[in-house]
Amino acid sequence: MQDRLHILEDLNMLYIRQMALSLEDTELQRKLDHEIRMREGACKLLAACSQREQALEATKSLLVCNSRILSYMGELQRRKEAQVLGKTGRRPSDSGPPAERSPCRGRVCISDLRIPLMWKDTEYFKNKGDLHRWAVFLLLQLGEHIQDTEMILVDRTLTDISFQSNVLFTEAGPDFELRLELYGACVEEEGALTGAPKRLATKLSSSLGRSSGRRVRASLDSAGGSGSSSILLPTPAVGGPRYHLLAHTTLTLAAVQDGFRTHDLTLASHEENPAWLPLYGSVCCRLAAQPLCMTQPTASGTLRVQQAGEMQNWARVHGVLKGTNLFCYRRPEDADTGEEPLLTIAINKETRVRAGELDQAPGQPFTLSISNQYGDDEVTHTLQTESREALQSWMEALWQLFFDMSQWKQCCDEIMKIETPAPRKPPQALTKQGSLYHEMAIEPLDDIAAVTDILTQREGTRLETPPPWLAMFTDQPALPNPCSAASVAPAPAWTQPLPWGRPRTFSLDAVPPDHSARACSVVPLPPQRSPQTRGLYSKGQPRTWLQSPV
Amino acid sequence: MSAQWAMGQVKVPALEPWGPAVYSQMAVSISQQRVEIHKLRQGENLILGFSIGGGIDQDPSQNPFSEDKTDKGIYVTRVSEGGPAEIAGLQIGDKIMQVNGWDMTMVTHDQARKRLTKRSEEVVRLLVTRQSLQKAVQQSMLS
Repeated sequence: MQDRLHILEDLNMLYIRQMALSLEDTELQRKLDHEIRMREGACKLLAACSQREQALEATKSLLVCNSRILSYMGELQRRKEAQVLGKTGRRPSDSGPPAERSPCRGRVCISDLRIPLMWKDTEYFKNKGDLHRWAVFLLLQLGEHIQDTEMILVDRTLTDISFQSNVLFTEAGPDFELRLELYGACVEEEGALTGAPKRLATKLSSSLGRSSGRRVRASLDSAGGSGSSSILLPTPAVGGPRYHLLAHTTLTLAAVQDGFRTHDLTLASHEENPAWLPLYGSVCCRLAAQPLCMTQPTASGTLRVQQAGEMQNWARVHGVLKGTNLFCYRRPEDADTGEEPLLTIAINKETRVRAGELDQAPGQPFTLSISNQYGDDEVTHTLQTESREALQSWMEALWQLFFDMSQWKQCCDEIMKIETPAPRKPPQALTKQGSLYHEMAIEPLDDIAAVTDILTQREGTRLETPPPWLAMFTDQPALPNPCSAASVAPAPAWTQPLPWGRPRTFSLDAVPPDHSARACSVVPLPPQRSPQTRGLYSKGQPRTWLQSPV
Repeated sequence: MSAQWAMGQVKVPALEPWGPAVYSQMAVSISQQRVEIHKLRQGENLILGFSIGGGIDQDPSQNPFSEDKTDKGIYVTRVSEGGPAEIAGLQIGDKIMQVNGWDMTMVTHDQARKRLTKRSEEVVRLLVTRQSLQKAVQQSMLS
């Protein structure tokens, strides 16, 4: 079955590539190739990685690549169809209807995404025992562009899922549809059971409570692969975490506002799903849009302006139409240097523009008059252009601006601020040092034999010399004093440095960290334990309970 | 603010050796508090005026404030008199669950300290749980 799937997958890839080639759409083809390579990389990484966090990141990349490939394919099919229809559907008598005015493009940015959670009271207060964790991220799609947010780990002590990233889409039209999808994967159960040795796995799964046991069994039973794309682009089925669609919503121009708004989420999963999270049902975000007509000048040229009311005084200016204003600068250079314009004429929904109808000064027939209502007064500016063509192009620019304003609606009232998102840092999981201490501290296992199994399995290939504390497990002759006061980190007395470096936290040592100028008091240590003692302490548990002033 | 009454009740025999036995009932209630602390500027530093103990890299059996001695959470071990924390209502023995939305139940000691002492934040909003013993003295007639 797997072989057949591989063949299907290869055929699909071939088909996709051929379509892209036949269309001679080099840009789409390049993007598609890029995604296919990324996808192969993600599959390899998923097969090779051992840490939970890496597997989660790799699966997320895979999901994003798959979505992108599907959307590019859809786009290709559409273009292909349009091409085919265009070739066959053209009639000789068609001179072509006058080109329909199309609205300008714009930039759409969604930021400060926050999804509130709704935990049951009992779950929130209970702080003992293991912490169920979920990995979640958002997939955002506008047209054929797909972007994702960073992955966040969620547990029951969080009241909301907050994403820090800003997502920017360029080339959006006023009729855009921004589809938001929340994907989640359950972390703790799968990780614990795939990592731990067999004996422990059966013990754990049989001793779990009813609801979590149900989830665990559901996640163990289900095979890999996700949703509808499984036939087309099968994901590796072995061992990796599975992301499920938890909720989705679609945002349009009506949702755009220069501020925070709450939108409803359509929940897509139910409690039986292993990755189910108690979502409150809404998402808060700031959705801003900047149409190009607001940020870029749409027309510029020489004009002569008549000061309102004075017939004789015509000033020669350089006019720039940008956003909802016509700026008249003394000289063309002023527009770039940021000098104040001589005159600013507002152009908004209420403005009325007429061409060449007012009393014209002799010899200057091409006039443009712009009227605005300020309260009870009507202020009219009359402008003269150099030629008929210039007048036509100014009128055209103004009509386009009016059309854009009618399409982009509230986005044209004032320019909404959009921050360019900073390039995202690579996922932190890949740079973390995997010290055994950190893995053990979170889920204390009281089966020493199992611990040594994990230890030798993980560290066996990496160590050159056995670390001193291994002596406690294996009863070998003790290496230089392994039980120095409360220290699990390598002591300076050793000649060979350990290959994986110091653990992250400094407070493992009895000496307070140097960077803090404040005093850290240390609760008096328990008496020294001999290396031969068995029990909790021989695993290398911390022996301090530090207090720090803040 | 919400309170939850714990199931256990402790019966403590009275100290008087004679007379009718008097039993005091003590019940433990756990309440959740939201505390907003405005940091105080002292020279270069912004201080909160309390000390913390605990962390996933610390030995939880030495925590004098926790009910469960395997609890590796962050506890308030000292509150400076007249400091910003005391003014905001933080009490010794409180367990800190969140700081400005950041989880504090699964952090190391140093991470906890860092989350509280961010230079860019002048106000920290803490979510804490607080145990309080309520004593109700009951007279039990035993003649």
